[in-house]
Amino acid sequence: MTKYEDVAVHGYEEFCKAVSERKGKEIFAYFSGDKDDQGKSWCPDCVKAEPVVRGELSYLPEGSVFIYCQVGDRPYWKDPNNDFKKTLKLTGVPTLLRYGTPQKLVEEECFKADLVRMLFTED
Amino acid sequence: GEYDYDLVVVGGGSGGLACSKEVAVLDFVEPSLKGTKWGLGGTCVNVGCVPKKLMHQAALLGTALRDARKYGWQIPESQTAMAEAVQNHMKSLNWGHRVQLQDKKVKYLNMKGSLVDEHTVRAVDAKGKEMKMSARNIVFAAGGRPKYPTHVPGAEEFGITMSFILWTRPNMNVALECAGFLAGIGLDTTVMVRRIALRGFDQQMSGLVTVYMEAHGIKFSWKCTPKRVKKLPSGLLQVTWMDLNTTEEHQDTFNSVLWAVGRAPETKTLNLEKVAADEATSVPNIFAIGDIAEGRPELTPTAIKAGRLLARRLVGRSTELMNYENVATTVFTPLEYGCVGLSEEEAERRHGKDQIEVYHAFYKPLEFTVAERDATQCYIKVVCLQEGEQRVLGLHFTGPNAGEVTQGFSLGFQCGLTYEHLRNTVRTHPTCAEELVKLNITKRSGLDATVTGC
Repeated sequence: MTKYEDVAVHGYEEFCKAVSERKGKEIFAYFSGDKDDQGKSWCPDCVKAEPVVRGELSYLPEGSVFIYCQVGDRPYWKDPNNDFKKTLKLTGVPTLLRYGTPQKLVEEECFKADLVRMLFTED
Repeated sequence: GEYDYDLVVVGGGSGGLACSKEVAVLDFVEPSLKGTKWGLGGTCVNVGCVPKKLMHQAALLGTALRDARKYGWQIPESQTAMAEAVQNHMKSLNWGHRVQLQDKKVKYLNMKGSLVDEHTVRAVDAKGKEMKMSARNIVFAAGGRPKYPTHVPGAEEFGITMSFILWTRPNMNVALECAGFLAGIGLDTTVMVRRIALRGFDQQMSGLVTVYMEAHGIKFSWKCTPKRVKKLPSGLLQVTWMDLNTTEEHQDTFNSVLWAVGRAPETKTLNLEKVAADEATSVPNIFAIGDIAEGRPELTPTAIKAGRLLARRLVGRSTELMNYENVATTVFTPLEYGCVGLSEEEAERRHGKDQIEVYHAFYKPLEFTVAERDATQCYIKVVCLQEGEQRVLGLHFTGPNAGEVTQGFSLGFQCGLTYEHLRNTVRTHPTCAEELVKLNITKRSGLDATVTGC
């Protein structure tokens, strides 16, 4: 029985819907470039970071939510006006963040298991 | 080894963070104790320089919006909330420090530290859980906290200090900076001063700063001291004070009372003696840096540099000591004031009035012209030795972006700036800073020091 909820979404609208349906809960979100049919992302850093992040999920607080969000294809991501960059203020993928706080790990920071664990466990 | 840690740093502010990050990079590993409710970063990030500058900027932007209309912009009347934006920035800094410590393998404990003996530190967390650790070396960088005037009934109960909004150094500029930006965002503000403003700073410059503030709607109660603070049924605060000139008592009501009367380290649990030149205390393996140490300029950059240099000395990589002289300072009042070196009074005291030459100028920033702003207090003063190349002893500037101007010239100061150097420097035009290298009128001459033309 997992103590956190694992949600997968694709694109900005689905992400916002998932968040709004879970008001009052502690939400952690991982943003990654889209995966192809073989399950490989166009973003090499995302490929590298995902197993590290998944390896620390057991440290998520009880009752929290983990949203795995594929942002879109490479051209969509490269557009500086895409919704993730404009509204969520993301600067790169992968990004792992604690929703509603300035606490986040960006790109190479996501490769470090101890930083991921720190984000999940510290206030 | 025989100790749990090579180094324990008590305090996660400017000094403490700089010291522990430096030591971690130099292959030591030690915990960094911090027991406040704030995030990492200490006074500077949470209730000091950072929020102060941001709020000062908010007030400056209010002025800029008014100026903009004179330059032809159509600006609607509007006000937006600043507090949330500032707090979000502070929280991102807290997080940034946390990530850095973790990355540099510095163990961080959110606990309050105190000394047990020369090599032992006790730490207590918010729930009261205790632990002890032994260390070869201990650095105290726990900073200072604002003082309340304990002889004024109601002061602590009804008044707040900068810690609730923001806070910086204790040289009386906090009161002025806060009054400045509070008035700048539209609040009716009064500053009560017992003796003089900006004690320790050049008093002529201090006068220009306060005259500008008074001309822009900030009230000053000079030579007054508060007697009582009472909360009225309406929720407003009634302050009773005495005018020291007439010994008459006065009363008025305010929404908030803010104390900016100085800061002191909380050393009750720490038995530290006076700190020596190399940050050592009377105990050979215990050191103190930053605001907690006596007689140092209480500034973020000096704490950071002292922290780094101490770390290098402890590791044996360097013998360099911190130089506390010639530290450039900026007061972020509505008319900013930047200075490096001696005040005119101090220069006279040290060298005698006949041995110094003061070059000065009243100038008008070009941007003020179209905006129809009053530049009466925009002023520059360079205090030099009279003889030879006229080495600069002190440099003073009031005007926009004083911090940026002063930082640039302080580098010259560090390199032994003389009046000759200033005169041989080609101006960059049009700027306010160029007026420094145009200086040619001396106080001694008695001539009008107002700059005319290009």
